[in-house]
Amino acid sequence: MKLARSTLAPMLLAIGGLATLGITTQALAQDDEPAWAQGRPDSLQDAPMAPHAGKMTQTPKEELPLDHIRLPDGFNAEVWAHGMPGARMMALGDEGTLFLGTRSIGRVYAVMDNGDERETMTVANGLTQPNGVAFKDGSLYVAAINEVYRYDDIESHLADGNVPEPVELTDEFDLPDDEHHGWKFLAFGPDDRLYVPVGAPCNGCDVDADVHATIRSYEPDGTDMRIEARGVRNTVGFDFHPETGELWFTDNNQDWISQHIPSDELNRISESGEHFGFPACHANGFVDPERGSEGACDDITYPAALMGPHTAPLGMRFYQGDMFPDEYRNAMFIARHGSWNRTMNSGFDVKVAMISDDGDSASTSTFMDGFLDPRTNEFSGRPTDVQELPDGSLLVSDDQNGAVYRITYEAPDY
Amino acid sequence: MMQFGKQGWHLGRSALLALTVLGFVPAANGQAPAAGLPLEEQVEVCADCHGENGNSTTPEIPSLAGQPALTITNQMIYFRETLRNNDVMTPQAQGLSDAEIEALAAYYAKQPVSPAPDLSDLDSRRYEQGKTLAREMRCASCHRSDFSGNEQMPRLAGQREDYLIKAMKDYRERNRGGPDTTMIDILRDVSNEEIEALAHFLAHYESQSTSQ
Repeated sequence: MKLARSTLAPMLLAIGGLATLGITTQALAQDDEPAWAQGRPDSLQDAPMAPHAGKMTQTPKEELPLDHIRLPDGFNAEVWAHGMPGARMMALGDEGTLFLGTRSIGRVYAVMDNGDERETMTVANGLTQPNGVAFKDGSLYVAAINEVYRYDDIESHLADGNVPEPVELTDEFDLPDDEHHGWKFLAFGPDDRLYVPVGAPCNGCDVDADVHATIRSYEPDGTDMRIEARGVRNTVGFDFHPETGELWFTDNNQDWISQHIPSDELNRISESGEHFGFPACHANGFVDPERGSEGACDDITYPAALMGPHTAPLGMRFYQGDMFPDEYRNAMFIARHGSWNRTMNSGFDVKVAMISDDGDSASTSTFMDGFLDPRTNEFSGRPTDVQELPDGSLLVSDDQNGAVYRITYEAPDY
Repeated sequence: MMQFGKQGWHLGRSALLALTVLGFVPAANGQAPAAGLPLEEQVEVCADCHGENGNSTTPEIPSLAGQPALTITNQMIYFRETLRNNDVMTPQAQGLSDAEIEALAAYYAKQPVSPAPDLSDLDSRRYEQGKTLAREMRCASCHRSDFSGNEQMPRLAGQREDYLIKAMKDYRERNRGGPDTTMIDILRDVSNEEIEALAHFLAHYESQSTSQ
């Protein structure tokens, strides 16, 4: 199969010849491929698509892409904290300390807000991708691959200038130690249980539906595991509806099938244990060319909203504050980390998702963008997570620059 | 907004107890000899093993000359954060600030790669075998078609042959550490003979391609 080196060619190939593509993919020896290249068809072996290199050094404040940020009228962005390479998922302590997980650099950060100034510190290092952080009853929970730690009374210790010795809960949680999609997101539910995803250990593969591609919940001590959702390839963000308590989550779909399909997802769990399709059925009814067959999408829960192919929707939160206009109440803010498996970059923004009247689906629109320059195809920042502050302002983390921006609102005077 | 100065670092999990406030005390113990020195004195420390201008003449020690800056930066961060543990380099990275590491990386990225290694040891059969393997294994898709490296992916062309062999074997046997597992996957079932052929080809690549 000969392929012109053009942007559109891979799409045409994928859409026009899915069956052929499936065979091509299968014929490849996958053993010696790096994780991100699994499933890459022969015809794209030399395509310039690979995960973007992260940055593990501090970005000076004056080099942050604050001026690039565009927001609806009345909203304003400022730099809230910076100098934290790789800062990703966020959790807020009861006393106002912001905790941030990372991946490659292996650190967990804490930011203490002293009014006009923020004091930033490293509270853990040397961990393997400690992406998941959550806070409950005075304790910080950190999930790495594959370790779980709890730091009790962390905020009072930090106020005294030290970090408490963590309680290790790795054995209690007994999570798989796969590196691929093994980084975690953590959140406590309204049932006071800790929700933990276990991603598929591959780009696409058959999985044990009771182990991988699941969202689980546990008692905070790691006991009483339950499967809350199945067929979830790789979620790195979820939150609970403030009124219904339902879990809504983002999910990142398969690479290398096409630049344009399948779309990434925003999902809602209405019944515990629902199946969301991976590995045979993607997005809203797209049957996997290799692992799917007729009926693959029967009994599959479709997304509440499509988030766009390869755009990588990660952290998301429901907005419950008073600062933003009423229409944002109980809407979701969703950080899209941005694509690598497309020749035309997409994402690198924050979307807002408003739920339909029947509560089943959501419509999305752009809330914050400007990091992606469509003329040059280059990006200057990568939104990774969002977190509301008690005053109703919204924090957005950017792991490419190790910074956190704060978005505020004041009614415009037209 | 506070400005951050030099950051303090500590070693490994045992450091979970220690609290590091950005802008305050660097770790008192384990400070690398090069930390805090001017760049021209730092590179003298590096030169003890990595050679003048980063062209190594020490067995199994890599040349740094002409490496992409991000390659050097990332590996130094992995050493400093104790994510990649090496008896020599992990201690050497302690106490170096992000800015110091970036300046060192930029310096070595600009140094010219030494001209042709001694060609008297060139084994054309092994060279051709390595060339074929490099094509089959698609090394160029990340390391560029001239093997000069790209961003976090190192230059391979003109690297010391013994170092390339050691690095590839360390990856294969999971002795190298570091968060990036790409090369572990790629080298999983590659034999010693194949590694040696690849190294022979890549070490001589520059001289061969420029002499043609």
